[in-house]
Amino acid sequence: MGELAISDTPGEVLVSLGLGSCIGLAVVDKRAGVAGLAHIVLPATTGTPKPEAMNKFADHAVPALVDGMVERGASRVFMQAALVGGASMFAGAGLEVGSRNADAVRELVASRRVPVVAEAVGGSRGRTVKVDVTNGTVSVREAGGTEEVLAA
Amino acid sequence: MSIEYTDVQLDALRELANIGSGKASTALSMLLGRAVDISVPKAHALSFADAVEAAGDHEQEVTGIVLGIVGDLDGVVLLLITPEDADTVCEILGVEPGSEYAPSALGEVANIVGSSYINALAEMTGMAIEPTPPATATDMLGAIVESVLASQAHAGDVALMLDSELAVEGSDCSVAFMLVPSQDGVGELLGRLGLG
Repeated sequence: MGELAISDTPGEVLVSLGLGSCIGLAVVDKRAGVAGLAHIVLPATTGTPKPEAMNKFADHAVPALVDGMVERGASRVFMQAALVGGASMFAGAGLEVGSRNADAVRELVASRRVPVVAEAVGGSRGRTVKVDVTNGTVSVREAGGTEEVLAA
Repeated sequence: MSIEYTDVQLDALRELANIGSGKASTALSMLLGRAVDISVPKAHALSFADAVEAAGDHEQEVTGIVLGIVGDLDGVVLLLITPEDADTVCEILGVEPGSEYAPSALGEVANIVGSSYINALAEMTGMAIEPTPPATATDMLGAIVESVLASQAHAGDVALMLDSELAVEGSDCSVAFMLVPSQDGVGELLGRLGLG
């Protein structure tokens, strides 16, 4: 939670297990073979969190992920993003962080001019997301379901 | 702003959880007509990632029932029960497990147990607080816990969880209990105890 990982090592798989209202933002540049995954908890920073907790917030995590990938040799022109999570686990309990997270991440990704090519967002089920660095494939498994490819 | 809690503060919060879960276990025991044991509660002040980690296997399927707390204290009470134990509770109550009445029955159990917990807190601290109606979800443990924490996080880097377990005697069935106050709520709680 609130973690951010970037890899250019073929064979590695980036994983976020059990996303609820959080967003797993996967960004891949298949040409450069660089992939990143951020586990975003809340839409925007309020107050001044500790530096190590910054990536919990969309307004820090999205630029950090995109810029970090550029540093590792990715190009923004070839980046593709996929959004996973943002569920509303407890309908009607006033815990609607999920859709606000999804909106914030979409807007921030668009502002960096990275296209969102696939989404598995909303609903009421938890999800696990995996990003295969070898080929940039993003796959998703919903609670009680089987793993499916979201973006190849 | 980062918030750290002293050992004395954590002890005081643990004691609150202890008395709260004592009341909750009495309520559960009366409801089920069985003796109920309580574990010694744990008070964790953890970073977000560690808090979800501490709850257990992220992908394990659990049933979570959430009660909001409104009034002088903002926060949530989360009850966690495995699907098998949820079935057992339904059977004890005479409700067919997996039927359309099961989630509602579990919600009611949580309501009674959670409300007695919240009432105990209110009595001890002199706060005017009330529970909101229960919401139930069966899903991945990580997804449930993280969603609850995210809803209470605001600016906080630290999640405070007061954690106890109620075990129903003779049926190998237990309910885990978590009180997650919002960051402001923790300050309020400690203030009322004279430890703010």
